[in-house]
Amino acid sequence: MAFDAEKEIYKTWRSKKAAQDEIGKMYMRWRQVALDLAGEKANPLDVSLKCSEIMGREVGKSWLPRMSFAKGEENWLKGLTMNYVGWWSTLGASIKAQPGEKPFEVFLSWNRCPWPTFCKEYEVPMEEDVLCCDAFLKHILKDVNVFFNVEYDIETLKAIPRGQGQCLRRLFKVEK
Amino acid sequence: MAKQLFEWDYSSYAGAKKYPNLFSPIQVGNLIVPNRIKYAATEDNLNDEHGFITDADVAYMRSRAEGVVGGLCFMQGVYMDPARKGQGYVGQAACWDDKFVPGLKRIADAIHGEKAIAGFQLMDCGRVGAVEVPSGHGPSTVPQRLRIFKPMFEMTVKEVEEMVQQHVNAAKRGVEAGFDVMEISGIVGYLLSNFVSSYTNRRTDKYGGDLRGRMQAVVEIIQGVKEAVGPDVPVGIRLCCEELLDDVRGNTPEESLETYRIAEQAGADYLSVTAGWQESIVPVISRDVPMGSWLHLAKRAKGALKIPVQMAYRLFIPELPEKAIAAGELDFWEMCRSMIADPYMPKKVLEDRQNEIRHCVACNLCLARLFRDAPMTCYINPLCAHEHDQGFYPQPVADDDKKNIMIVGAGPAGMECAYVAAQRGHEVHVYDKRSELGGTLIEASKAPYGDEELMTCVTYQKTLAEKYGVNLHLGAEVNADLISEEMPDAVVLATGPVYSQLKGVEPGDKRVVNVLDVLGGRAQVGETVVVWGNRKPGIGVALSLAKQGKKVTIVGEDKSAGFDINPSFKWRYAIYLRQNGVNAYNDCTIAEVGDGQIIVKTFDGCKFPVKCDTLVVTEREANEDLKSAVQGEGIEFYVIGDALVPRNLSSAVHDGYRIGLRI
Ligand SMILES: Cc1cc2nc3c(=O)[nH]c(=O)nc-3n(C[C@H](O)[C@H](O)[C@H](O)COP(=O)(O)O)c2cc1C
Ligand code: SF4
Repeated sequence: MAFDAEKEIYKTWRSKKAAQDEIGKMYMRWRQVALDLAGEKANPLDVSLKCSEIMGREVGKSWLPRMSFAKGEENWLKGLTMNYVGWWSTLGASIKAQPGEKPFEVFLSWNRCPWPTFCKEYEVPMEEDVLCCDAFLKHILKDVNVFFNVEYDIETLKAIPRGQGQCLRRLFKVEK
Repeated sequence: MAKQLFEWDYSSYAGAKKYPNLFSPIQVGNLIVPNRIKYAATEDNLNDEHGFITDADVAYMRSRAEGVVGGLCFMQGVYMDPARKGQGYVGQAACWDDKFVPGLKRIADAIHGEKAIAGFQLMDCGRVGAVEVPSGHGPSTVPQRLRIFKPMFEMTVKEVEEMVQQHVNAAKRGVEAGFDVMEISGIVGYLLSNFVSSYTNRRTDKYGGDLRGRMQAVVEIIQGVKEAVGPDVPVGIRLCCEELLDDVRGNTPEESLETYRIAEQAGADYLSVTAGWQESIVPVISRDVPMGSWLHLAKRAKGALKIPVQMAYRLFIPELPEKAIAAGELDFWEMCRSMIADPYMPKKVLEDRQNEIRHCVACNLCLARLFRDAPMTCYINPLCAHEHDQGFYPQPVADDDKKNIMIVGAGPAGMECAYVAAQRGHEVHVYDKRSELGGTLIEASKAPYGDEELMTCVTYQKTLAEKYGVNLHLGAEVNADLISEEMPDAVVLATGPVYSQLKGVEPGDKRVVNVLDVLGGRAQVGETVVVWGNRKPGIGVALSLAKQGKKVTIVGEDKSAGFDINPSFKWRYAIYLRQNGVNAYNDCTIAEVGDGQIIVKTFDGCKFPVKCDTLVVTEREANEDLKSAVQGEGIEFYVIGDALVPRNLSSAVHDGYRIGLRI
């Protein structure tokens, strides 16, 4: 059989990388479109934050069918965490999750993330990256919280675009 | 004194002797119902875009009314708000104004014309509503999990009170139109179930909070409707006995049972037991759920209530409700889909003509059509939703037009065509090289997850073929010589599909086998199997082999596995494939077949190997056999079913029926 495994794997790997690259660039091109249409008076950060909000809600909604409370809240939280990890891994980040010391607390750490690189390439301020990522992560939780009748939040503790070497975020149940 | 609307005496019917409980009377409220049969409310999307009743819906209902032989016959649930937030289906009947009464009266009259009891259902679709407007209403703003549904907004207390009044007003209009029984629909994700469930009701006012609060709107509606319609019109309610929403923190079974008690205390005259929501991730009524699986819920309800208990949910054969009623675990046999598939199902039971029943195959195409704004059709019943159209009924042919028809193939397409043509007066001869009726359905029905029920189609067609005098020639292969010898007036080729051949595979190659031989138990299959083709035949054989412990992979050109299965059932197969460890490479072809492995090629040209001892062929093509022989003789001819274009059982039956009418 004429089949060269390495060649085929390389082809597949290369197209995955190219797709990840295009997704980032596509975002940046649309950002520019939005800024052009918004006009000079608009604050670019506001435009990008609005985008993060819309994207976050959309992504959160798409996770709803894949999450379940049937096996209790701990398992549900695992499901939520895996969705965060899976989403970023697909886009080319290297991300890990670790349970925190408190119940219903998880730490997510990114050792590698493609977005600061895109920001550099398209001359987007690094702080915009941090704030948008933050807004995106939080808006994912909007519908998830309402749908499952829970209150979770996520906060940024460290960020690669701030030169801190990694992004570290705490996903936690809000204490009432 | 309880009243009886129509006199029925079943004592002379064989079916009544066989099923004495089904054909015994019962009191519901102040009404005597002569039997235990109910055609459950069924949306059909047949009414006009403003909610006015059409001829199609009247005719649809008339045939179901004939079917219940004196029992309860419910029309579809009506929406009741002029803002149309409660409208869940584009062709749903409306009742928010007196102007709808004359149309509704036509339905009540049609039901009474068959001496059946006319049931009216009040149904605000709530969370799954707003089909024609941008947003819907609900007790709270809980987002939708499925994209096909509109966003919801929380109703104010005033709006809830208005909604309660809308139910009361609609009930009054229903009585004015002539209906005898009122039913409140609180099921599957519709508005009242949204109020009842802890999943969708987060209110803290009088319409929310604990279970009593969540039931408050239901209680007000029951009491309001009862007062409005008076003591002679029973008022029942449909409520979930199990919501099957554990994944989203819905009500517990105990809470659901408590809702039943509250409804009874509020004055409900009967309770119709249901299970699950449209959003439930558990299968409830598809073919993979064995018949009778939910009857324990009726038993649970009977244990908690004094009022009569009704239930449908896969009770497709009379033995199940008969036994349950005898055991005191149920009072009414409700039917929805079994009477979509055969409106006369209970009538045939009464007349002891059970083999003449066209059985529902629980495929849920009817539901899938509604969700996609299409008028109802039935997978297995070509006449469904065409009851008003005389052109869809077999019309007798004049003596001069009677033909001698040769049908080649005794599968579902050929047999459907055969009995319809024979019923019209033609002389029909069916040939098949096999010695059994059923064609490829014989093997297809061996796939797991309920597919054995597909064979009910063969029983039905065989019975009707015998009834109308179809001549069967089994074990007889048709060739050009036989055609010219017999010289029929018309030939129908229902020969089934031909199976595709992979390039580079020699005929007789032992590594490659046919799906029919695998399901029929005639083929040797290795431990590692690749199934070529990702439509239903491929999925069926893949699951069958995986259940035998084999490692199975599907490779097919369609973008997703099960392209030919309707979305309301397809999600089940996706889960079963996953559960049975079957990988599907969709959007892919087989580039090469080697020893112990095949090479799969993706749509964009990447290749990878997949282990394979045996390759099962399920890809099919149209069958050109005999076409030229018939054309050569200049005989009128038709090609139907998979021989024309490989599709599914439904297309075979529908093709056969239509050509049977036309020939
Ligand atoms: C096409 C279709 C339409 C339905 N429409 C209604 C409806 O208007 N109101 C209602 O309470 N239930 C409705 N149902 C639910 C049925 O009445 C019934 O409870 C369910 O189909 C299970 O019964 P079965 O197994 O006999 O089909 C509908 C079901 C189907 C398949
Ligand atoms: S479409 Fe399918 S599920 Fe619906 S009634 Fe017909 S056979 Fe039954």
